[in-house]
Amino acid sequence: MTFYAQFCIPFIIGTFFLAAVVIIKYVSWLRNLPKSDLKLIAKGLFSTRTIAAVWEVVCESLLHRRIFRVNPLLGYMHMSLAFGWFLLIVVGWIETVAYLGFEWVPLQGHVFFKYFVPLNGITAHKPMFDFAMDMLLLFVLSGVALAWAKRVRSRMMGMKRTTKHIFFDRVALSALWFIFPTRLVAESITAAIYGGGGFLTGGIGSLLAQNIGVEYLQMAYEPIWWLYSIALGTFFVAMPFSRYMHIFTEIPLIFLRHYRVRPEIKEKSYDNFEVEACSRCGICIDPCQLQLQLGINDVQSVYFLRDRRYNMLQQKIANNCLMCGRCEQICPVGINLNTLRQNSRTSMRNIPNEGRYNYLRGLDRSEGEGKVGYFAGCMTLLTPNTLTSMQRIFEAAHERVWWADKEGGVCCGRPLRLSGETDSAQKMVDFNKALFAKHNITTLVTSCPICLRIFKEEYNLEGVEVLHHSEYILRLIRQGRLRTGYSAEQRFTYHDPCELGRGSGIYDEPRAVIEAVGQLLEPDHNRRNAFCCGSSVANTAINDAQQLTIASKVAEELDSTGADIVVTACPQCKKAITRGSKLRVMDLSEVVAQNLK
Amino acid sequence: MINFGFSINKPRTIDIDRNNLRKSNEILREMPELQTCIGCGTCTATCTAGNLTDFNFRKVHTQVRRGEYQGVYEELNKCMLCGKCRMLCPRGINTRGVVMLIKRKLGDF
Amino acid sequence: MKHVIVIGGGIAGMQCARELLHEGVAVTILEKEADTGGKLRQWHKLFPTLTPADEVLSEIRNRLKLSPNLTIKTGCEATKVSPKCVTLSTGEQLECDAVVVATGFDLFDARVKEEYGYGIYDNVITSADLEQMFNRGEVRLTGGGKPRRIAILHCVGSRDEKVNQRHCSKVCCVTGVKQAIELKVLFPEADVFNFYMDIRMFGPGYEEMYREAQHRYNVHFVRGRISEVSPTIDGRLQIKAEDTLTGRPLKMGIDMLVLLVGMRAGKINEKLTAECNLKCQESGFMQPRDSFLHNVESNVGGVFYAGAVTAPKNVGESINEATSAAHAVVEWLNRR
Repeated sequence: MTFYAQFCIPFIIGTFFLAAVVIIKYVSWLRNLPKSDLKLIAKGLFSTRTIAAVWEVVCESLLHRRIFRVNPLLGYMHMSLAFGWFLLIVVGWIETVAYLGFEWVPLQGHVFFKYFVPLNGITAHKPMFDFAMDMLLLFVLSGVALAWAKRVRSRMMGMKRTTKHIFFDRVALSALWFIFPTRLVAESITAAIYGGGGFLTGGIGSLLAQNIGVEYLQMAYEPIWWLYSIALGTFFVAMPFSRYMHIFTEIPLIFLRHYRVRPEIKEKSYDNFEVEACSRCGICIDPCQLQLQLGINDVQSVYFLRDRRYNMLQQKIANNCLMCGRCEQICPVGINLNTLRQNSRTSMRNIPNEGRYNYLRGLDRSEGEGKVGYFAGCMTLLTPNTLTSMQRIFEAAHERVWWADKEGGVCCGRPLRLSGETDSAQKMVDFNKALFAKHNITTLVTSCPICLRIFKEEYNLEGVEVLHHSEYILRLIRQGRLRTGYSAEQRFTYHDPCELGRGSGIYDEPRAVIEAVGQLLEPDHNRRNAFCCGSSVANTAINDAQQLTIASKVAEELDSTGADIVVTACPQCKKAITRGSKLRVMDLSEVVAQNLK
Repeated sequence: MINFGFSINKPRTIDIDRNNLRKSNEILREMPELQTCIGCGTCTATCTAGNLTDFNFRKVHTQVRRGEYQGVYEELNKCMLCGKCRMLCPRGINTRGVVMLIKRKLGDF
Repeated sequence: MKHVIVIGGGIAGMQCARELLHEGVAVTILEKEADTGGKLRQWHKLFPTLTPADEVLSEIRNRLKLSPNLTIKTGCEATKVSPKCVTLSTGEQLECDAVVVATGFDLFDARVKEEYGYGIYDNVITSADLEQMFNRGEVRLTGGGKPRRIAILHCVGSRDEKVNQRHCSKVCCVTGVKQAIELKVLFPEADVFNFYMDIRMFGPGYEEMYREAQHRYNVHFVRGRISEVSPTIDGRLQIKAEDTLTGRPLKMGIDMLVLLVGMRAGKINEKLTAECNLKCQESGFMQPRDSFLHNVESNVGGVFYAGAVTAPKNVGESINEATSAAHAVVEWLNRR
């Protein structure tokens, strides 16, 4: 049996090219993984994690569950293309088996089966397969139609903005759009000439035969199959260099993630999987406040990953991000966008062994003594209401406190880390760690969520419990060590600081504290969807006016809740929102201190 | 005056005619707001590093604007980038951005 | 008889009313407080002559003699302004032939600058608080003692983007100098330090007063803005600043901190802009038709401005402007 025709050449070249590039990429990425990552993979490979990963591949790579959650129509579009195409391949393979039994058929034989059937003298049609294949083709075509429609009107799928694409993406995209319509036409013409075909291809085939005439169709027969093959070949060649590389890359990524491999503060080989798993769907654009409130539209995660992938990342793009995490929590591929951006910054700015901060040696400006250490944080020193309130709270709870930085301490190191000067930041981490150890504290309370995060994630403080003051205050209230007066007359609204909420997962504690004192009214965007105040230390690119614009927009929403007081739990947020709000803005500790009984 | 080809003391004068203002101009082009500094010294007063060392952000960036770059990179390395200065600057200067920008321009990275 | 409504019973409003009455126009003054006199009621002495504010205020009140053509409505706030009608917060509508807006300014709320500790620590006061202390004759520390070291901080809520106040409030510099002198007179033993960014002595006699403060009263001037204030263990205050002239950080224990709070645009300006088609400037102060020939007229015919509603002004300027606003009103009425 022959399963070869000249028109298959573009397809064959494309397929082999694609396979070669993908294999080269994956092998080199895997080979360059650090030993620790390889160990994780070896440990997870033969465990239930692999099964969990397979299930996630089905749910995400094929069914696109997470996109369904963003918008059902958008989810359907992605699913019809991915799952539909996958089924076309699988059912197509079964179809050849059904006709030929278990016999080796070259790849193009499966793909262009309809073409080869008459050549091999098979005349009996299996209507069930014709129907199934037509159904699937229709399924995929509906996705293509939606993709077209999305280009024209993305709002219908809940997206205000879509990605601006580069050349390779456009080539691949055009080829992809061509594949299924040409397949439809090719199979319809085949059905018109040789009979067969289901309701779709058969139906269109008989229409064509009646209206155009078989002799003309015969002239179009070879060219249309050529066209189909070229479309496939072009798509496959462009694919590894375009965003469509995500189709394959998401699969190993899901496995690696299940084996607990994670990106780190310094770039490593694993990052390639995350970077190339980005489909540039652009879902990250809409939630980005730089776009939403400032109209900056070339710095979002999709563009950052694109620039990084093609080695054209500039500092001004990498630095222009609030790292608020709003994109990260909506990313359907689950890429660790903040960590990747941070390690890009590290690659751009880190200078090891710079011998900085030697002046920290021997420094200790702390005061007091106690098992509980309080680290106000640099910013809190500029919001003294928080400091005095914490002092009152400690006194009311009869807590003996060691004050780490009342007279000005040493920065926690997170701002410098966020800027990419990672190794130098470590000097501050080491200094503060030694200071905490010297004073034998067992609990470390901080009022600054920025400090909180680095204490929790990077300090590895053994034997020391790290708490944000919201957690600590709630604990005191629950233990009965703090007694607060409640009045429903006091109406508060709460602004979730990024580093506290999305960053550290602390949403409920501050709310519980507020509700112990008065009524809490939620703004439209809260918890995981909360806005950033705009003054994030992670962004060194936007100017003061831009920060103010964001703060005003965020404050507007808080003001409209009907509350009398805006409460937040971060000095940076407090300062920012005070600039934009017409209401009084207070730190959580102030609210508590004011209502102590 | 006889030119011995060397001088014992560094000249005291800021000689704008001889200083190369190219980098300074580049920095101001990227961060025009730096030119709005009124020299109030709030940044230096609140500075975490400035309270532990002789680091003076106001002086350092003024030197850069005058085309005096010597030792600036090393001075800026004392900064912890904590951001207190940015929070207080009455002109709203993106001081953290300024530190990073000057270091980038002088350190060529 | 023509009828003009003057919104605001401060010095500008009263002076303007007086001039209008003189020209045979009926006037209604709307004052939101219980009594006329505006901000001047709170001041002690006026720079640079140290004339008691009371003296100036009584003179202005005396000039505004009771007349059958004058109505003063106190405790009532205007909410809507048009050339022919002013709506009060009670819903009452007053007909008129022209309106003069003389609503003045608001004082900056120093609590917003949290790092200075106003409302948090004892003995951090504003310049307005100090004037009232002078008026009551009891300038002393919270505990009752005499201050031995006093710091006066300029530009609180002026020239500060962080509180959305870009403009210079103009009168604080000289107020700082004046208050320093008054404090030195009260407490000759005390050290008084003025912390400034720039000293702007714009009026006649101001520079001389500045020189006198330095030379005769030994008031210290430090060029640097205080960054933060903290309490000390012995109940005093510690301030941090940069002494920019030596280029070194400076810290100092003090007994009292006076914040020279700036002028910010009156809250009513927002309403005037949003609902009455009147234009305001970026600073929030109202925008006169132009700065030279029509600086007491608004962009709406029949609505005029007098005093600090258009920009920070001192007492003399406000009074002069009120007079010229009255003239502009009369000219406008005569043209009708």
